[in-house]
Amino acid sequence: MSQILPKKNLKQLLSNWAASYEIYAPQQLEKFAHFMPTNGSELLYIDEQHNTRFPPKALFLPQSETLMKYTRFGAAQETIPESKPRIVFGIRPCDAKAVDLLNLMFLTEKDSDPYYQARRKKTALIGIGCNIPCPSCFCTTVESGPFGRQGMDALLTDLEDIYLVRTLTQTGKTLFAEYPEATEAQEAEAKAVQQRSLKLIDPAFETKGLKAKLDSNFENALWQKFADSCLGCGICTFLCPTCFCFDIADEAQRKERVRNWDTCMFRTYSLEASQHNPRPTRRERTRQRVMHKFSYWLDHVNKIGCTGCGRCVRYCPVGLDIRAMLREFNQLEAEVANG
Amino acid sequence: MVKNPYLPIPMHILRTYYESTDRSLKTLELSFDDPENARAFFAAYNPGQFCVLSVFGKGECALGIANAAWEGDFVRFTAQKMGSVTQTLHEMKAGDPIGMRGPLGNGFPLEDWKHRNLVIIGGGCAFSTLYALTKHLFHPAVRNDYGELKVIYGTRNSGLCMYKQDIQSWHHRDDLEMHQAVDVPEEGWDHHVGYVPNVVKEVAPSPDNAVAIVCGPPIMTKFTLSALTGLGFAPEAIFTSLEKRMKCGIGKCGRCNIGPKYICKDGPVFSLAELNALPNDI
Amino acid sequence: MTDLESKLTAEIANLLDDKKVDVFIAFKKAESPLHPQPAFFTESNQLGDFVYNSLCQNNLAAFIPRYPLSARIGMVVRGCENRAVNHLVVEKQHARENIFMIGVPCEGLVDWHKLVNRFGEEMIAVDEAKDEIMISYRDRQIRAPRQELLHDSCLRCVHPNPLSADVTIGELKPEGDPTLARTEVAAFSALDNAARHAWFRKEAERCIRCYACREACPMCYCTECFVDHGVPRWTESTVSPAGMRAWHIVRAFHQAGRCVSCGACERACPMDIKMTYLTEKLNEDMRTKYQFECGMDDKTQPPFAAFNLDDKNRFEL
Repeated sequence: MSQILPKKNLKQLLSNWAASYEIYAPQQLEKFAHFMPTNGSELLYIDEQHNTRFPPKALFLPQSETLMKYTRFGAAQETIPESKPRIVFGIRPCDAKAVDLLNLMFLTEKDSDPYYQARRKKTALIGIGCNIPCPSCFCTTVESGPFGRQGMDALLTDLEDIYLVRTLTQTGKTLFAEYPEATEAQEAEAKAVQQRSLKLIDPAFETKGLKAKLDSNFENALWQKFADSCLGCGICTFLCPTCFCFDIADEAQRKERVRNWDTCMFRTYSLEASQHNPRPTRRERTRQRVMHKFSYWLDHVNKIGCTGCGRCVRYCPVGLDIRAMLREFNQLEAEVANG
Repeated sequence: MVKNPYLPIPMHILRTYYESTDRSLKTLELSFDDPENARAFFAAYNPGQFCVLSVFGKGECALGIANAAWEGDFVRFTAQKMGSVTQTLHEMKAGDPIGMRGPLGNGFPLEDWKHRNLVIIGGGCAFSTLYALTKHLFHPAVRNDYGELKVIYGTRNSGLCMYKQDIQSWHHRDDLEMHQAVDVPEEGWDHHVGYVPNVVKEVAPSPDNAVAIVCGPPIMTKFTLSALTGLGFAPEAIFTSLEKRMKCGIGKCGRCNIGPKYICKDGPVFSLAELNALPNDI
Repeated sequence: MTDLESKLTAEIANLLDDKKVDVFIAFKKAESPLHPQPAFFTESNQLGDFVYNSLCQNNLAAFIPRYPLSARIGMVVRGCENRAVNHLVVEKQHARENIFMIGVPCEGLVDWHKLVNRFGEEMIAVDEAKDEIMISYRDRQIRAPRQELLHDSCLRCVHPNPLSADVTIGELKPEGDPTLARTEVAAFSALDNAARHAWFRKEAERCIRCYACREACPMCYCTECFVDHGVPRWTESTVSPAGMRAWHIVRAFHQAGRCVSCGACERACPMDIKMTYLTEKLNEDMRTKYQFECGMDDKTQPPFAAFNLDDKNRFEL
């Protein structure tokens, strides 16, 4: 059972919410979509058929965030973010699922991350499905889809003049309480849109048995082949909605201890003070990135650490495509490998 | 409100002293500003664990804990002058404030080792947690739970030997067999001469009902593990403690993994059997 | 396969078959229509994937410093890539006699940013004719004039022809208009201090510190970049305004007299950050103050790297 939000009412709805929520929604930054704060008066950039460049994970795990301030007497004062309740509006299913996956990393039983927790707990995710997937999208391959609901409080389907709203949690119900129920015809139309979109996404690679193939091919020459083209920049990992690795550094001029996103693609990531580097070349670093997502995530939480958003594919400056890489591993004979 | 695992415990430096004659190794003993933190620390502490020391303005670095709980309400670390944080640690003096997170990691599986003979093998500055382990075993309430104790400790030269006075006295104890080594002959040196793996072969500890614990630089560890295997120690009876670049110390920041295992959270102590199951990513 | 591609393939195959080069660095087809992938051909039978078109965004000279000086490298070079190779030879990153350049006069590169910002990420294929780019979606095709989609660096390119290639395939292009090259610099320079600072901040502070600009640049081959230096740290590693400004300023200044105006830095940037207005300003200073243009030959040291006792210029900062 769904509800109807006429597109012309969206601004009003956002400005109503803005009274008690901080709202983030995709808007135009330069010429691409980017999550930015809104109170309803800004022009949104959500009717475009593509996702934001920068992943919304940054709203939960900012690229740089102050963990604490300190004094020269050594006292440290934690800086847990305090904010109004928040709404992330217009998040795509791949990115909402990614937030759900990040929960598994940061909201752990032992050593739960208080910074992530403070943001996540206060935030409702209102998603919008993808009517026309990009050729770089592969959400359906990794247990998501263009209208996947995981992690969301409500999911919108774009039906030209209206959004069909499917509320998924109590928070979602409350936020859309005033909107009328959809007619059967509208429900059917949404379903058709969703199914049409689903059909446009081809399976990108086989995930069954992939972990075993990767595990048994740790020393395979393919890693070197991929690393040959790799520039060693941080685009694939920084734009990834599930990559969460970070560095902790003291910014002495500001007397702040800061955590910054870090990436296994950088030489300095694993470089030790002794100058020994367990991952000395792009080969080991590329391998770490792929192994983490498609093997170690499974060991840790039994989930693939990828939601198929396709950003690493779209923005890689040398056209390295993780789908093609994984297909090559799939084609290997698992048992022959290991050498 | 959850406990903030990134927030260091406020500490002060109690005393510092150089361990090595070349002044590359310095020991710092830290005291707790709040006795409540001391209680919580020692309730959780197990030899083999490490802490992340926090020098405000410079950053953090992970160091193994070098004292046993019974020694008193302080925590001891020995730092090799290496990166920017350890350089600053070397300049710090008694009375200076410092932060500490820990104890982190799992430490040695002492419960599993009960009633077995222990062969403790260390090289260079990695001996610090083994020093903590040995001291822990000396405690009268602990010592009887374990069988014979052999300690093999090698350094490049005698000047680099840490905890000199204590280790000198261990030669005279009757509850352990102490073997010390330097890499090249020195005047007046009346212990072993040679690399640790060779000394291990020379001492030839028996693998019967025994567990071997190896901590040292990677190359020493590698050859010692094979020497022990040659002596008949099973992979399940050989343990080592690993080091890698660490930041968070709690399995979140990502960087210290070997395959699916995080050294900080799943280690730093691993049996050779466990290591053999991991990819070559060290 | 285009006519040019078949000619190139034949030439490369000969080089590989005759063992004149150990590796030939070029592009191969990738799944993404916008980013052909740098490829390293060692046998002529691998050339089935070879591709050469206006979407080949990278300056392949960036891969040269990865090889030992003794490696015999073949490359297809456009004007800017030829100049980059020349300058890498000046900086002793490779030996000229161990590089075989097949030159191609350049039509200009189609900028993927301009494509996706205008046509969306739903494009499934991009093809080119002489003056037109054809963009295909699942259900339709659109055509757009090539000129509108060229990368800014290519629009103001002065030397589209390879200067010192060992072989050149295709007809030479007319040289570009040097006044055009200065349009962006002139626009920037015409502003007052506050406006220039605002321009700089707007670009620099969008940075996500992924260092794709650095990695894509043929001249950024330092083993350890200043931002990665640990003891002491030269700059904040945080995405703070100070850290990002420091990166963009120092990166640009390290290019003084070393930039070949290829624009690979901007094309690699995932955040559409403009960077060439800084390097072009430095290039212009090099031209006007020192009569130096980077990469025009493989011998001349850039002014800031050259030293001689008869130097007529006074010390300048």
